[in-house]
Amino acid sequence: MSIQRYLSKVYKNFVVRKVIRGIGIIFATSTLTFFIIRLMPSNPIEIFINQMMSAYGMSYQDAKALALALFTIDLDKPLHEQYIEYLVNLLQGNIGRSIAISPGTPVMEVVSTFLPWTLFSVSVSLLASFALGVTLGMIAAYRRGGFFDKVMSAVAAVTSAIPGYLIGILIVVFIGVQFGLINYMRGAYSAGLKPGFTPEFIADVFLHLAAPFATYVLSTFGGWMLSMKASTLSVLGEDYVTVARAKGLPEGRIRSQYVGRNAILPLFTSLTISLGFIFGGSVLIENVFVYRGVGRLLWSSINARDYTVMQAVFLIITVSVIVSNIIADLLYGLIDPRIRVGG
Amino acid sequence: MPARGLKRTVRTFVVEPLKIIASSKAGLAGFIGLLLYISMAVFGPLIVPLDTRPKPEKRYLPPSWEHPLGTDFEGKDIFSQIINGARDVLFVAFMAGTLTVLIATLLGSIAGFKGGLWDSIIMAVDEVLLTIPQFPLLSVLAALVRLNNFTLAAIIGVLSWPALARAIRSQVLSLKERDFIEAARALDLGTRHIVTVEILPNLMPYIVVSWILSMTGAIYSQVGLVFLGFVPFTSHNWGVMINMAWTWGAIYYKTSVWYILSPILAITGFQLSAILFARSLENVFNPRLRG
Amino acid sequence: MMAIAAQREPVIIVRNLSVEYLTPRGVVKAVRNVNLEVFKGETLFIVGESGSGKSTLGFALLNLVPQPGYVKEGEVIYRVDGKEVNLMKLPPDEQREFRWKHVSMVFQAALNSLNPVLRVWDQLYDTIKAHDRNISREEAYEKVRNLLSLVRLDADRVLQAYPHQLSGGMRQRVMIAMALLLDPQIVILDEPTTALDLLTQKNIIEVLKNIKSKLHTTMIFITHDLSLAAELADRVAVMYAGKIVELGDVYEIFYRPKHPYTYALMKTVPKLTSVDEELYPIPGSPPDMVNMPPGCKFHPRCPYSAAVCKQVEPPDEWVASGHLVACHLWKVLKHEVRAP
Repeated sequence: MSIQRYLSKVYKNFVVRKVIRGIGIIFATSTLTFFIIRLMPSNPIEIFINQMMSAYGMSYQDAKALALALFTIDLDKPLHEQYIEYLVNLLQGNIGRSIAISPGTPVMEVVSTFLPWTLFSVSVSLLASFALGVTLGMIAAYRRGGFFDKVMSAVAAVTSAIPGYLIGILIVVFIGVQFGLINYMRGAYSAGLKPGFTPEFIADVFLHLAAPFATYVLSTFGGWMLSMKASTLSVLGEDYVTVARAKGLPEGRIRSQYVGRNAILPLFTSLTISLGFIFGGSVLIENVFVYRGVGRLLWSSINARDYTVMQAVFLIITVSVIVSNIIADLLYGLIDPRIRVGG
Repeated sequence: MPARGLKRTVRTFVVEPLKIIASSKAGLAGFIGLLLYISMAVFGPLIVPLDTRPKPEKRYLPPSWEHPLGTDFEGKDIFSQIINGARDVLFVAFMAGTLTVLIATLLGSIAGFKGGLWDSIIMAVDEVLLTIPQFPLLSVLAALVRLNNFTLAAIIGVLSWPALARAIRSQVLSLKERDFIEAARALDLGTRHIVTVEILPNLMPYIVVSWILSMTGAIYSQVGLVFLGFVPFTSHNWGVMINMAWTWGAIYYKTSVWYILSPILAITGFQLSAILFARSLENVFNPRLRG
Repeated sequence: MMAIAAQREPVIIVRNLSVEYLTPRGVVKAVRNVNLEVFKGETLFIVGESGSGKSTLGFALLNLVPQPGYVKEGEVIYRVDGKEVNLMKLPPDEQREFRWKHVSMVFQAALNSLNPVLRVWDQLYDTIKAHDRNISREEAYEKVRNLLSLVRLDADRVLQAYPHQLSGGMRQRVMIAMALLLDPQIVILDEPTTALDLLTQKNIIEVLKNIKSKLHTTMIFITHDLSLAAELADRVAVMYAGKIVELGDVYEIFYRPKHPYTYALMKTVPKLTSVDEELYPIPGSPPDMVNMPPGCKFHPRCPYSAAVCKQVEPPDEWVASGHLVACHLWKVLKHEVRAP
């Protein structure tokens, strides 16, 4: 069997396995969401019905019909039938309609105006933070015990100890207020500016991204740096590095192909773990900067008791985490031949 | 060397480490920091009573002898709020951390030691909980259930066990095969005995470090939830202060900056102390990292 | 196989070499005032227990002693291409060039000796490219192919593979081929058969014999495996506690050892032909390399040790032409290992 065909065969298996696991978790999460909403002491649907009845004088039937339209859950049917219906709706992308934030609007529509901003800010920040952390970590390892190492390791330790959203607040307080840049720290783009692919808008978007970006990066680069430092130190002690030096390979090649590539591998495993954390952090950081992402939407929906939106956002965030996990796992499989090709 | 017995455990894990912590500057600093915070939480409110009377005329005063950290938007002293605010935060952290460690140790040991169906079920739940982002889940739960300190700590504790459980499980798996376990089994000492007397003491170092780190995670979640207003305010704890300062515009005036800075510094101080202490403990228990 | 090289010209001269390691416990004197000459075309074996300093000596020959080790004093002088080169005095760039071209090393076949994320071809090509930027891919491939067949490996199968896909024996042969890439005059082999099972060892030994007869490379083996020495060595140097305690022709060392340690070593090797001979493990253990006993470092374990042994480190003395020993009492000791 040629190498290429063998590769794609094994690879597909690897991919398929991860995807199946991902789907399993999404299924579990949506089930969890369904039961939480239905079985919580304060059943949101009942509350909504009561609210409609008392505030608007609706009849029970009317309120229930409205609830059905908005929640996509029919209280009359037995539980298991409700569940099946819920799942079917979910697969069709029907996750109900907004109750409070934008009454009647399909939740899908609401979420899709907010989701891209979160994906944008999180992915840009994650890439930058990872790249920065990994680079600094490797430098610190090569110059172990030196000034750079001591200072940067201390900085990394301190910044990763402070909760990210507090760093965000500090940025607003010390840079936003002091330098009058506060306007750039609210929202994803300036109010009144028409969205579009104009250079003006794009520049504005990046200006508004600056503060949340800085917050994400500052709060997470430390972890990457310290991990990469430890990993690089470990690899530097490996036999194949000594062999490479003995063979007279140029130091640059050793640094990238022999040390770097091997040192970065363990970090990919921790990448999957930290992705959940970063998306979770977006809930907080977007609120600090009133950034138009799903984190902010979650906050608004919780405040407005808009259960359909709330449920959907939670699901979307989880799905995003799972998808990025799969991507990270695939990347890892690409980089580490021991995973990709059997022995 | 397998550790046995309570007395020896105490000697190995209390006296010895204390000696070594004293030799590491960072660890010592962390340890002292933690002691300070714990004293603040326990004794603070008795020494520095909370200033609860609004005095509008004293609004946003800068730091002075009378008010070391200034006053807030109602003229109340910030310093006393910081001292009193420690209790809630540390209480929730302690409860959540302890709960996390208990659940994780229990489930991790069972999964590792018993294996089979137990293992599969526990690991499946573990994976689901690990993937679902914790903070959004907490936010949603907070929206549906009215939370107080106890329930908050409980929920955080229940959601945080997966990571530690995994580590414990793999440790148990590797310890399971070692000779002294075989010996214990040959002597027919029973599962409960083996787990508690033979395996757990070897895991103690790891558990203690994770316990401390769980507490820092709990503080992150708790303060975050309070800041976003998802948890009803029960007292003027640090998270509440940040929320109030934020929503009442304290960040915009030079004189009021202390209202938001103080709780942030307090929280940061605790997190740093905890992490420094935990890292130095790691070095203590894992001599390979030392020197 | 009376294989003393016809021309006894030295290609490596080691003078008064000392290598130390700085550890938290103290200074480990791994190599102490070693003097050695390696002759062109010969197969020299440096044997000793773990911790005797033999591996460190091997690394020192390449000036590659790993941290926290350093060369305290002494020189390693190469006589190659008609020139005398003191490796340690060369600037780093020239050292890098010198290494592998004139002297190379075959490392143990552990999985970790090869970069796990690069294919075998890449790692071999890397080596060639590092020393000759102008060589074409085809030329390099030809060279690699020839070497691989010399070590009895199928180029097509091995080159595309990753290290973890190869067996221990295959990896060892790759390491050997890799060492020969630039046609070095001298090859140092560090425990080349230790990680392998007996059958594979036999294969590797055949490969090495093949190389020896075809290429006439000077080979320096570092090992604790005496049977390997018996098969391949021309000369043997016995190391103990950082010093060479005996050096000589392989027959001399095996059948007429003069140093008590060498004698004890020979007695620990079981012989298939002997039926009733007892095995005599050497009592005691190697010295603490940080706090070594005074005098001869072997005296705590030596059945013959006298007062002088406890006080004065024995000097090197000639037993016969080419046979050196460092023992106060060699003249009076009567031990011979019977030839079969």
